[in-house]
Amino acid sequence: MTQIQMIQNPSFSLISTKKIIQMNDVWTSYDSKNFALKGINISIDRGTNYAIIGQSGSGKSTLLKLMNGMMNPSKGTIKIDYVSPNMNNKKFKNMMHTIGYIPQSLGLVKNISVLENTLLGALPRLSKMQSLFKKFPEHEIKEAKRILNLVGLSGKEDRKAYMLSGGEKRRVAIARALMQKPTILLADEIVSELDHVTAHEIMDLVADAQKRMNLTAIMVHHDMQLALEYANRVAVIKEGQKILEIGVEGDTIVDFQTGDMTSDDIMEMYAGDTKK
Amino acid sequence: MLVTPKNNIVIGIIIGLVVIASYNVDANPIDFVKGVPNLAIVVEEMLLVEPKYVPTAIWAMFETIQMAFIGTIIGFAIALPLSMLAARNLNSKFVYAPIRALLAAIRTFPSILWAILFVIMVGLGPFAGVLAIIMYTIGFVAKLQYEAIETIDSDPMDAVESIGVSKSQLIRYVVIPESSSHLLSQLLYMFDYNIRQTSILGLVGAGGIGFYIINYIKFFEYGKAAVFMLVVLVTVLIIDWVSVKIRDKYIIKSQHGMEVTTK
Repeated sequence: MTQIQMIQNPSFSLISTKKIIQMNDVWTSYDSKNFALKGINISIDRGTNYAIIGQSGSGKSTLLKLMNGMMNPSKGTIKIDYVSPNMNNKKFKNMMHTIGYIPQSLGLVKNISVLENTLLGALPRLSKMQSLFKKFPEHEIKEAKRILNLVGLSGKEDRKAYMLSGGEKRRVAIARALMQKPTILLADEIVSELDHVTAHEIMDLVADAQKRMNLTAIMVHHDMQLALEYANRVAVIKEGQKILEIGVEGDTIVDFQTGDMTSDDIMEMYAGDTKK
Repeated sequence: MLVTPKNNIVIGIIIGLVVIASYNVDANPIDFVKGVPNLAIVVEEMLLVEPKYVPTAIWAMFETIQMAFIGTIIGFAIALPLSMLAARNLNSKFVYAPIRALLAAIRTFPSILWAILFVIMVGLGPFAGVLAIIMYTIGFVAKLQYEAIETIDSDPMDAVESIGVSKSQLIRYVVIPESSSHLLSQLLYMFDYNIRQTSILGLVGAGGIGFYIINYIKFFEYGKAAVFMLVVLVTVLIIDWVSVKIRDKYIIKSQHGMEVTTK
């Protein structure tokens, strides 16, 4: 096959390699009656910061669970780097090693230290014997300490997770995800309960790591302003449907979904939604 | 509890059942009152404590503690993997159901029956008692453990499972640390309980301090028996005090993230 033919072949186009996550007409439900997501279409470029916002119960967290294979769609297709996210799929199971997932509750193991929590991200790289005897290689410990320094937790490596403040716990969860050497980071409302300053510190941390590691960050938020400040694109989810996909270009908010709405329309619509 | 007609009926039924069951087993309060003078005779004789038997009692208690210690540690070590297999949040029904049935079968026999069985198997002496304690610990602790494992927070499990780790890694790095305070609490409780259990295994010839107590009582030598019973009491109180200290330092602190203050 010549180079020209390859570009002409739609199944191997240069444009498609840019996409790391593709969801087409995705429906899913928890109880087989009510759908949590209804016909979601999302396409995310590699290396971007993609935000998902919406009210509580709109289906934001469900979207992340579908992306990391913790849930399966009832209908539609999902591709993460061209692989269907399913925990029974061996190829995807290997991919999971480099998909960092930070749940809303952070999922820290409370009785172990900050360093040990961070090292959990390196578990897939351990041999069976190393894993059994909890023998992390020296270079992994060094890397964990470097990441903890990066997230501002230097000197607190030996502290137990239950002793930390809310902001510190979030930093540990980010450190654990970064320890995976991730290509994708899925974060579920990790700054929602924090004060303005700490929330920006955490977001700066993620943005910095994203640039350094060229990772694709998909973050669920409540706050539209914060989402627009950091994300390349923002999807607004309402009652399981994507009602809007917007981004910032220069000083204006651009409607990528329909192209019909102005910045004022969008802000007014979102303000009206959150008031409800 | 609210005093409602429905609750009154339930309380009435429970009292009625207690009365019927008492009648069926000949539990007559009048007999109890009539028997109080007999108790007074025993207590009076027990007060004639014979201190020269203290060294023997301490040595027998030491043997009892060793039996309980071996039985608790080995029983606990066997119970831990079984409880991991019996936990519903870690396994499919095909794995946890047969393991639970096995543990229920082990739990059916009290330690004294296990002791009789092992005395027949390996003969009289402390070894039979140790085997009985191991079996009882397995059945009892494994149940406590799998119930504790099923109540651990699912978020750390989900977060680490999403990294794509193996089941053994999930158990080693999340399940055991998350349930460690419960496991330590159960270990202390079981050791405390097993010391009391081991103290009575001597009744069937399975060694320990109970062997002396039952023999002195058989020969109506209550003063000698009292020495051994006092040693058991003091030992249990000391172990209870040590358990409280360990619980305060390692268990309550890790569960609530704070130091325990006592008034």
